[in-house]
Amino acid sequence: MEMPILETKGLKKYFKTPRGNLHAVDDINISIPKGHTLGVVGESGCGKSTLGRVILRLIEATDGEVLFEGDNILKYNIQQMDAMRRKLQIIFQDPFASLNPRLSVSEIIADPIRTNKLLKNRKEIEERVVELMQTVGLSERFINAYPHELDGGRRQRIGVARALALDPKFIVCDEPVSALDVSIQAQILNLMMDLQEERDLTYLFITHDMSVVKHISSQVMVMYMGQCVEIAPTDELFEQPMHPYSQALLSAIPVPQLRHDRKKRQLIRGEITSPINPKPGCRFAPRCPYASEKCTGESIPLTERSTGHFVSCVL
Amino acid sequence: MGNANTATVSASNQVKKNSQFKAIVKRYVKNKLAVFGLFLFIVLVVLALGAELFVDYDADAITQNMQIRLTPPNSEHIFGTDHYGRDVFARVLFGGRISLLVGTVTILASLTCGSIIGATAGYYGGKVDNILMRIMDVFLAIPSILLAISIVAALGNGMINLMIALSVSATPRFARIVRSSILTVKGQEFIEAAKAYGCHNVKIISYHILPNSIGPIIVQATLSMASTILMISSLSFVGLGLPSSIPEWGSMLSEAKEFMRYDPYLIVFPGIAIVLAVMAFNLIGDGLRDALDPKLRN
Amino acid sequence: MSHLLEIKDLHVTYRGDEAKVYAVNGLDLTLDSGQTLGLVGETGAGKTTTALSIMRLLPERIGIIEKGQITLDGYDITQASDADMRVLRGSLVSMIFQDPMTSLNPIRRVGEQVAEVLELHQKNLSKEDIDKKVDEIFQLVGLPVERKIEYPHQFSGGMRQRIVIAIALACQPKLLLADEPTTALDVTIQAQVLDLMQELKEKLDTATILITHDLGVVAETCDQVAIMYAGEIIEIGTAEDIFEGKDHHPYTTGLFGSIPDLSKKERRLHPIEGMMPDPTNLPSGCKFHTRCPHATAICQQQEPPFIKNGTQGICCHLFADAAGNRGSQEDK
Repeated sequence: MEMPILETKGLKKYFKTPRGNLHAVDDINISIPKGHTLGVVGESGCGKSTLGRVILRLIEATDGEVLFEGDNILKYNIQQMDAMRRKLQIIFQDPFASLNPRLSVSEIIADPIRTNKLLKNRKEIEERVVELMQTVGLSERFINAYPHELDGGRRQRIGVARALALDPKFIVCDEPVSALDVSIQAQILNLMMDLQEERDLTYLFITHDMSVVKHISSQVMVMYMGQCVEIAPTDELFEQPMHPYSQALLSAIPVPQLRHDRKKRQLIRGEITSPINPKPGCRFAPRCPYASEKCTGESIPLTERSTGHFVSCVL
Repeated sequence: MGNANTATVSASNQVKKNSQFKAIVKRYVKNKLAVFGLFLFIVLVVLALGAELFVDYDADAITQNMQIRLTPPNSEHIFGTDHYGRDVFARVLFGGRISLLVGTVTILASLTCGSIIGATAGYYGGKVDNILMRIMDVFLAIPSILLAISIVAALGNGMINLMIALSVSATPRFARIVRSSILTVKGQEFIEAAKAYGCHNVKIISYHILPNSIGPIIVQATLSMASTILMISSLSFVGLGLPSSIPEWGSMLSEAKEFMRYDPYLIVFPGIAIVLAVMAFNLIGDGLRDALDPKLRN
Repeated sequence: MSHLLEIKDLHVTYRGDEAKVYAVNGLDLTLDSGQTLGLVGETGAGKTTTALSIMRLLPERIGIIEKGQITLDGYDITQASDADMRVLRGSLVSMIFQDPMTSLNPIRRVGEQVAEVLELHQKNLSKEDIDKKVDEIFQLVGLPVERKIEYPHQFSGGMRQRIVIAIALACQPKLLLADEPTTALDVTIQAQVLDLMQELKEKLDTATILITHDLGVVAETCDQVAIMYAGEIIEIGTAEDIFEGKDHHPYTTGLFGSIPDLSKKERRLHPIEGMMPDPTNLPSGCKFHTRCPHATAICQQQEPPFIKNGTQGICCHLFADAAGNRGSQEDK
């Protein structure tokens, strides 16, 4: 395999709270080859969004390394980081909060170009904006529209166009389709896959929706309370989930097919516990149907069960 | 993406540049009340600046003439005369210069300072926020009139010092409002997006955050107008503002208080002037707030 | 035979600043006790408006029932007085909203909030009786009774939704309107809440209208399914008709095509092209014709007929001559 475009090593982010350290991201090691997508799944509060932001240095990491093309960008100073930001972009979940309501579509898409002084001439910028709008399938007639005049799907296209404006190599997609209706969701997913092929983009695709991840990712990481519990090639994970949490996540998804046997699904009990000063050992143990004494006490390392399939479980 | 496209691009570029400003003007003009407010403000300013056309400053507004003191409105003195026999009409006109100037300058100055302080505190948070806002709290804890009095007392009398004193005492309120509206905007994802493409803090605050918090700021600004005009008079009253001979709406009001029962016209005319000025400011403020908000398009 | 809920030709509009929004346009629906109906559609299809009309909770002076009749357990809801509605809400029909964070009062103990409904509707109950009932309801929805003295913020999302359900079911209404009850929850918690709702339905024989955009949730829980588009029901039938039947409205087919399917290998999805029509300016004829791959001239001109075939009904010109045109439809 070629050199990964993005790697993290022992990446950690602890937030200080009055009750102790909140382990939002705890020792995450990933590596994404160029042109591939790593899907990150997990429930709310598992640290997946924080992970994306720590990688982009929107939040400063507590410890660890983020290597972009082999270089640790966490060590970069402000000037180096400014140059680097062009290559790393982000697409957000909420197509309403992610666009400045006071700016028109063209101003929103042009702002990254202006900020980075990629193009000086006003006409050139305008041309680039129109080109970007065409790329993401937005009709040119919306160029002077304001975000509130557009529906969720079109707004999300603006968000994609803004991210593409700097011709990035790596994009963090933070639940980009979760707020959209299914039919629109499919349009945006197709668009993102097309763009990836055309431009050889690399995605870190964060979502809570397992079925979306299956479509877009080549590799999937399951996160639970800041830790990676399982990481595997997509097909393998969906066919043979090994960690009890991955299994529970998969079986909890409502499938749009009738189940005639009406048998009870395997549900996990309880809810996510507080990630503040977690006890050593498996963090899923309190909810795990197979938990035993082996699960508590010391931390459980990720072990490779088959090629590229890592699981952190004593089973 | 051929030539045809380029042509439409430049065309739409033209359209766009005009429409930005035009759209705001158009939205403002559509608001009849806002236009009336602007009209009213212009009339007041023109009257104040053109006062010499109607009356003479020294003869009518300053020179005391005890023989005609407290004359009710008549054909010669259409607003009557005050207890020193000065023409109230002349004093209202010339008073407008000071009240409007001091009021406007104070609002703009405290708005600017308050926005900078509030924006810095709200955006950076943490220690910066704590230090700045605790200082503002100290200012807020002192009644604004006392604060202004002590500043004028320290700096000495005079119009500039008066404006400084009033601005300083109005600033904390703006800082509070700007800070709180910034806190609601700063958590939104478009701010993070701007950071992600390399926007620097100053630009984020000025280009992305402040325009989104303009509503409450404008409301506070227009509300401050009235209290500022009245505060000038309070300062003058304790002898720290302007000499009482200099006409100014607020001090005219406070002087007229003693004669309110028998000569109510003394209080009515400067009162009306203040009401009109405040109303003009409020209408303009509301109109601006709506015109600047693209959501209220058309 | 009389149904628990019968909606006839319901038209609801919202008065906007500039234009009238046609939210619901001629909706017919019946529901019997004990049944669960899934009301499926995209944002703006009129699902929530329909539910709010049944509750008579449309925003005052803005949302107006223009035409039509809603009969619930013999009461004509559209004609009922506000005072009558206050009695009906909670005791005959209640509603669960999407966001469990905002639908509970943050400064009152959860037990009190459940008790309040009982106090309002069952005035003859003594304090002890109410206390006992609250305990029962807590057990019913799987909440530990000792936590009834806690405040909403002390509960997690799934627990809060259980409390909301407890409040809704406190007076054992005959009809429960659940507006996206699990959308704000995580999948594992969603599964728990769905199971709970299923269980309660069997225990209490409550009829449920489940509003959702998630066909997966519908497949798990519903007996009847109605697909809404632009304020109309364009297809209705039993769950078997919708999920396993052969004939579908093109929109239903599109909806199924859009869902990322776990069981298929294919990467590209098949979205419905275009967007929902503007509800202030709906297209003539069939409202879906602007996005429909099978649209013909007649679709633009005439409103499609409602064609009933057994338990299934489809509102589409394609099925106008049911015998001849079958099979031209793609299967999902």
